[in-house]
Amino acid sequence: MHELSLVEAILESLIPMCSEYGIEGKVKKVHLRIGRMRQVIPDVMRFAYGVATEDTVLRGSVLELSLIPLRLSCPTCGAEWQGDDPIAFLCPKCGEKNVKTHSGMELEIESMEVEQSDESSDNDPAVRHGGR
Amino acid sequence: MNRVITIRQSVMEADEEVARRIRDRMGRDGRLYINIIGSPGSGKTTLLESTIRMAPEFRFAVIEGDIATARDAERIAALGVPSVQINTDGGCHLEAHLVSRALESLPLDTVDILFVENVGNLVCPAEFDIGEDMKVAVSSVPEGADKPLKYPLLFSQAKAVLLTKTDLLPYVPFEMELYQGDLERLNPGVPLLMMEAPSGKGMDAWIALLRMWLKEKRG
Ligand SMILES: Nc1nc2c(ncn2[C@@H]2O[C@H](COP(=O)(O)OP(=O)(O)OP(=O)(O)O)[C@@H](O)[C@H]2O)c(=O)[nH]1
Ligand SMILES: [Mg+2]
Ligand SMILES: [Zn+2]
Ligand SMILES: [Zn+2]
Repeated sequence: MHELSLVEAILESLIPMCSEYGIEGKVKKVHLRIGRMRQVIPDVMRFAYGVATEDTVLRGSVLELSLIPLRLSCPTCGAEWQGDDPIAFLCPKCGEKNVKTHSGMELEIESMEVEQSDESSDNDPAVRHGGR
Repeated sequence: MNRVITIRQSVMEADEEVARRIRDRMGRDGRLYINIIGSPGSGKTTLLESTIRMAPEFRFAVIEGDIATARDAERIAALGVPSVQINTDGGCHLEAHLVSRALESLPLDTVDILFVENVGNLVCPAEFDIGEDMKVAVSSVPEGADKPLKYPLLFSQAKAVLLTKTDLLPYVPFEMELYQGDLERLNPGVPLLMMEAPSGKGMDAWIALLRMWLKEKRG
């Protein structure tokens, strides 16, 4: 049930951002990138988000999740593969144990989709972004 | 028309910053910090008790994470080791800011190895960086051999896996080959230690691992 903790952390970042950008009540969608390894259940996450945003400026926005597959490669033989069914970190070609993980561990807030209004179109905050 | 504001930051950004600060501090002082993760009742506190008894060469401190009660911290304190209980009040895992607060009440200057016993749970604790040097997974024979594959994040990240209650192998069905095979695919080469608390079997190998990790940490 860590989905609720994740949602709380998302709100802690996004709510101040909403007032900074003056977009309270205008956010339509929040887009997350979640790696396959992250054990996040999308329905649980969306439900938790709905409940947690109810009394906030994000009320009515929806959470959109992109699930990112586990992608691995082998430094020894160069093989590349998708390692998530079942999850394995062993090179299927040469048995190398130290393989490289390219994706599948993400837990990122990618973007927000905001209702366009006339006044805010000039100083477009899209050029700004927090963190990396 | 809607417009898109790009954010691209980690969901746990704020807590990860706290975790980084803890890691820096423990790194600077050369203290080993281990996050013990396993299901409820798998034998985590028993392991810590035995470790304290059998490895007097180290000075320990323990942070206990539980949803409720201070029982585990009391078990540790009874052995004369500084311990703090964190009650998560329903929360199914520890986060770095909780650990950071608990650290304030520990005499870290006189500690070689800090253990955090996470809330009993194989899922959520594996998700959250609490600034540890390594995660150690604890799973017990009666839970069954399918645990690694069902909880792949923990078992793929653990620096060691402790299979506890191996004294029960004669009484409980447990497919050892399945367990070992799945673990080897998830986390190739990870040390798997067979632990038997009643006889103390496995403790020597575990203490040798601690010794090696502490040496590595101190360069
Ligand atoms: N047979 C057997 N029992 C054990 C072993 N290790 C622990 N136990 C028993 O398992 C039960 C749970 O042990 P704890 O050490 O409290 O487990 P825990 O993981 O700390 O439990 P929580 O903190 O509640 O999640 C106790 O009754 C222990 O005596 C073992 O190696 N063999
Ligand atoms: Mg315990
Ligand atoms: Zn949980
Ligand atoms: Zn290979």
